[in-house]
Amino acid sequence: MELVRRLRRALAGGAALAAAFGGFAGAGEAAVDLETAIKASYLYKFAPFIQWPQAAFTTPSEPITICVAGRDPFGPALEEAIRGQRVSGRTIVVRYLENVEPETRCHILFAGEAPEQSVQEALRAVAGRPVLTVTDLSRGVGGGMIQFVVVRGRVRFTIDAGAAGETGLAISSKLLALAVTVGR
Amino acid sequence: MLARLSSRGRRLAATPVAGIAVSVLLLVASLMLGLHDDELGRAEKLREAQVQAQILAGSLAGPLAFDDDDATREYLGALAVNQELVAAGVYGPDGRLVASFRRDGAPLPDAGRVGPPVVENGELIVTAPVAQAGASLGSVYLRATTETWSRRALRYLGIATVVLLAALLIVVLGLFYASASAANRRLQAEIKGREQAEAALRQSQKMEAMGQLTGGVAHDFNNLLMVASSGLELLGRTDDPARQEKLRRGIGEAIERGAKLTQQLLTFARRSPLNPQVVDLARCIRGLHDLLDRSLREDVLVELDLPDGLWPIEVDTSQLEVAVLNVAINARDAMPHGGVIRIDAGNVPGAGGAGDMVRLTVRDTGAGIAPDMIEKVFEPFFTTKGVGRGTGLGLSQVYGFARGSGGDVTIESVPGAGTALTLFFPRSTKPLPVEPASASASASEAEAAATVLLVEDDDNVAEMVGGMLRELGYATVRSENAASALKRLDGDGGPFDLLLSDMIMPGEMDGLDLARHVARRYPDLPAVLMTGYSQAAAAVSAQGIALLTKPFTMETLGEALRQALRAGGREA
Repeated sequence: MELVRRLRRALAGGAALAAAFGGFAGAGEAAVDLETAIKASYLYKFAPFIQWPQAAFTTPSEPITICVAGRDPFGPALEEAIRGQRVSGRTIVVRYLENVEPETRCHILFAGEAPEQSVQEALRAVAGRPVLTVTDLSRGVGGGMIQFVVVRGRVRFTIDAGAAGETGLAISSKLLALAVTVGR
Repeated sequence: MLARLSSRGRRLAATPVAGIAVSVLLLVASLMLGLHDDELGRAEKLREAQVQAQILAGSLAGPLAFDDDDATREYLGALAVNQELVAAGVYGPDGRLVASFRRDGAPLPDAGRVGPPVVENGELIVTAPVAQAGASLGSVYLRATTETWSRRALRYLGIATVVLLAALLIVVLGLFYASASAANRRLQAEIKGREQAEAALRQSQKMEAMGQLTGGVAHDFNNLLMVASSGLELLGRTDDPARQEKLRRGIGEAIERGAKLTQQLLTFARRSPLNPQVVDLARCIRGLHDLLDRSLREDVLVELDLPDGLWPIEVDTSQLEVAVLNVAINARDAMPHGGVIRIDAGNVPGAGGAGDMVRLTVRDTGAGIAPDMIEKVFEPFFTTKGVGRGTGLGLSQVYGFARGSGGDVTIESVPGAGTALTLFFPRSTKPLPVEPASASASASEAEAAATVLLVEDDDNVAEMVGGMLRELGYATVRSENAASALKRLDGDGGPFDLLLSDMIMPGEMDGLDLARHVARRYPDLPAVLMTGYSQAAAAVSAQGIALLTKPFTMETLGEALRQALRAGGREA
């Protein structure tokens, strides 16, 4: 949490993200760049603005599961971001997956490149199921309902509300208002 | 007087004081109302600010969560339009200030904190958490003025103005009322004063009239008494029969004048027993013609215009004659160089509830009466004639007679052209009596032989009346009162032919009671009453009992007794 705060301050101060871009290939567990940290926090912050169908949860207190498929770009940033957070009374947990199977229990799926399964394969695996799929277009990986983009040095996202709606997910208009382009 | 003034002053002062008190009360009440209103307004303001904070917090959830500072500032900017907001801040989940605006250097906390609403220096501070689906995303802070000082002052100034105007109105009304009531009191006092003055004036007029009356009566009576007493004295000193006869006649005339005077006084006072008879007015006046001609001067011509078919009236004929004579004498005296006295009569049909009347007008061509004198002519002892020529009772008698007969009298006069005096008498419903075939002037023997029971308490009067009766040829027995008279009638006193009684006597029964008793018990015994003055006289006349008015002459007495005996059926 302390890290995120510091990063945000840096952002507010107008620090350019570009300086950090170079290090993404060799980003280790400890050294997470600012952009990635922001994406990590956004990933869980989508949760309050999404309404899952009742069937997505078996019990009222079942945690919201964020699945990170393929290579994990966030490192400890995501764990830190979700620590202690509750959405609609549910805690948030993170699962790291090599492969995404249709029966894998996920509420939010961040699909990254992986040797075993391509992003598209991962997305197809959960297609039709109420899983909010997120990819990072700024890293050249597109697809899914939400794609992270960088606009004028800021992390933003696109939303494909139509795709989400087909699976029974409802996305709050507050979130839609913040999307840079809304796909149909 | 001083006390009244001071009390009036107190009253005058009390009304404005009450007005001021009322206005102070009004002021306090409106102040309390204003404070209460203020309280309500503040609560309303608080709710409003809270709602605003919640709306802001709700719309800021997205921008705060995803660091959209532009959108955050936009929302805040929209809020800044509200002039009552002096400062607003948006804080992230970590309490860091994300965006803000402030007016006139209003304070704004550095870190976001959610707490209950606070009023600080008249400004309202509300906070609201920004949350989405239970996830805390930050907080908003709003600082609003409850009401600008100038606006509140204006509001209070408005209330104060209204209250002050109302108070002013009350004070003005109070002053107006006080002055009006003071004027009313002055008016009342003045009315009272005038009433007192009028009463005093009436009283003095009454006293003046009384003085005139008593003075006039005393003057006339003294003259008559002078004649009588000196005549009697001279009578004792002379042996000359011719001179004695002359003196006796002088004394008799004086007494007769005295009797007339009292008669006229009583007529004026309407206490005189009128002896009303149903008569034809035209016939009565024609009968007076000779008397009028004799009483008036040669240069005064009397013209009569008396139509036939006048309604009958019920009046005392002798009083009527006296009245006409009085009016004619006045007319004569108003025409020192001669003229015409015109007497005419007519029927006056009643209208508007008034009954039918018969009018008798005596018109002269004399000097007339000045307008300011007209009202006084009917007052007793008012006269324009010289000393010794008039009594001032003539028109008083006319007035008393007319009113006593149920009629009226009016007078119209044009100075220099003449006077018209009109008498009105009510029409009588009774028929005219049939004329007696022959009114015998002398007592028949049968009548003269009758025995009269004389009831009289006064010895002197009894002796004199007894003497007159004996002179007339009647036998007479005297009783002193009603009780003894009844005893005589019941007992051995023998049959009486006539009862002659005084009206007012000591004892339980007076003359009228006696006459009524006798009429019931001895219907064949006629009764004649005598009186000098009595309020019951009218009742006597009304009951058809013959009445003799004292003083009376032997001739009058004889005539009354003859009539009574004839009415009692004694002539049979």
